[in-house]
Amino acid sequence: MQHLSTTDLIDYINNQLRPEDDALVHAHLDDCAPCRDGYSTEIALTEMLRNQAKVEERELPPMLKAEIWAKIRAEQPTAIQRLRAFLRPAYALPVAAVVLLLAFFGPGYLRPQSPPAPSIDAAYYLQDHAAMNSTVPFGDHSGADPGALEETALNTDESAVNGVFYTANANP
Amino acid sequence: MRILRAAASVGLAVALLALPISACAKTADAFALLRSAIDAPNHVSFVGQMQSVQFGTSKSVASVFRVEHRAPDLTRHWYLAPQALYGDSIISRGDTAFNIDVKHDRVIVVQDDAIDDQVTLDDNIGLLTANYHAIMGPDGSVAGRPASIVILINNYTGQTGLRVWIDKQTKLVLQKETYATNGSISQQSRFEDIRYVTNLPSAIFVVPKTGYAVVRGADHGLPSNDLAAVVKTAGFQAHGPKYLPDGFLPVTGDVTDIKGVRTLHLLYSDGIRTLSLFQNATGSAVDMSRFKASSTHVRNHEAKFVEDGPTKLLAWQESDLHFALVGELSENELVKIAASVVP
Repeated sequence: MQHLSTTDLIDYINNQLRPEDDALVHAHLDDCAPCRDGYSTEIALTEMLRNQAKVEERELPPMLKAEIWAKIRAEQPTAIQRLRAFLRPAYALPVAAVVLLLAFFGPGYLRPQSPPAPSIDAAYYLQDHAAMNSTVPFGDHSGADPGALEETALNTDESAVNGVFYTANANP
Repeated sequence: MRILRAAASVGLAVALLALPISACAKTADAFALLRSAIDAPNHVSFVGQMQSVQFGTSKSVASVFRVEHRAPDLTRHWYLAPQALYGDSIISRGDTAFNIDVKHDRVIVVQDDAIDDQVTLDDNIGLLTANYHAIMGPDGSVAGRPASIVILINNYTGQTGLRVWIDKQTKLVLQKETYATNGSISQQSRFEDIRYVTNLPSAIFVVPKTGYAVVRGADHGLPSNDLAAVVKTAGFQAHGPKYLPDGFLPVTGDVTDIKGVRTLHLLYSDGIRTLSLFQNATGSAVDMSRFKASSTHVRNHEAKFVEDGPTKLLAWQESDLHFALVGELSENELVKIAASVVP
């Protein structure tokens, strides 16, 4: 491969090369000291230009800024512009969907409703049944139900935890 | 010759008369042995390894755990299998269990006052002796320990309900098999090894606090066998089953608030098998999303059914009441019992 041109190096630094060319330049830089020097020079030059640009950056005079903002605020959209903006698909589609849903479910949907009763995890019932089995001679209270324990071990939800661990005593 | 025949007849009559007396004596012996076995953990300390298998209709769950027990009421179960539970342990101190979940660095504290409920335990022993007759099986051996085998047979069905292997020396239950109504084994637990000790260091039963979050689990209050009073505190018109399998009677109950839902829990038992009926009047259905539920019917109402090892749960709704029936009975039996609960 020939030595890299300055344009190649600049494109490489700015990630503007196609992937295959990027790979070739990368590999060439590993092997070619003169190009590596050129690369370092370009990096240093880019950095220098960037720093210089920062130094030369000028703040707009405060009055000019204020005038620009005043003009922007004064330019209110007309009614037609507002309607056109409202009818953009991003707004129009969700609004149409809500209208259709309301029409489908009817006015009952709009009536105030009491919050739904919380459902109770089946594991709670199984656990409570097992807990009360402590009163049965030779009942299975030798330890935890491994299936339920496993579920708990894999479940980090505290509310679920409350419903699964069983108590234990010594009698097998 | 006539004298000989007369003597033989008398001998036969005496033998026939003696047989039931002998059988009764053996049953009494077997029940006495069972009572000793129930009481054994209160005065025997031991360390050992146990294996427990719970058989469902189509799948089973097994666990292996180390047990350290210091009489009367300190116990630690330390799980070796299944893999998901390895390292987890349960430390029981009286009626409080500390479930140590090492994977999530937390200790879940569960209080179960029912463990101390001697009254209900005695009631259940009464039911057990009324509904089952006990026979002594041939001597056996578990984990190298000589054991007496007691078999409890249901008086109504003639089927074996429970078989226990009791250590001849210490009276501790070394092995236990519980049978389902169809005769299949529903649960089996046994010691793989056991060593009796005079004492165990308290450190074994210390609950780790550092590095663990303490989470309050679901507590279980002391149930009451004054069922009329329990039903009154429910705050709604409660209902019970008109049909129960032979030998089953209501034994205890309580009312608890789950997520603010007042729930009545009634426990029925025949001394070995149990059945729980839960009901609430606040429209709170049973969430079975963590289980594989199947659909069925209770009379003409839709119902959901799940199995968790040998334990089954049937849930349905009728007249603004939500019911859940939990027990180790078959699905058909649960549906039959559920159908007799008529609001």
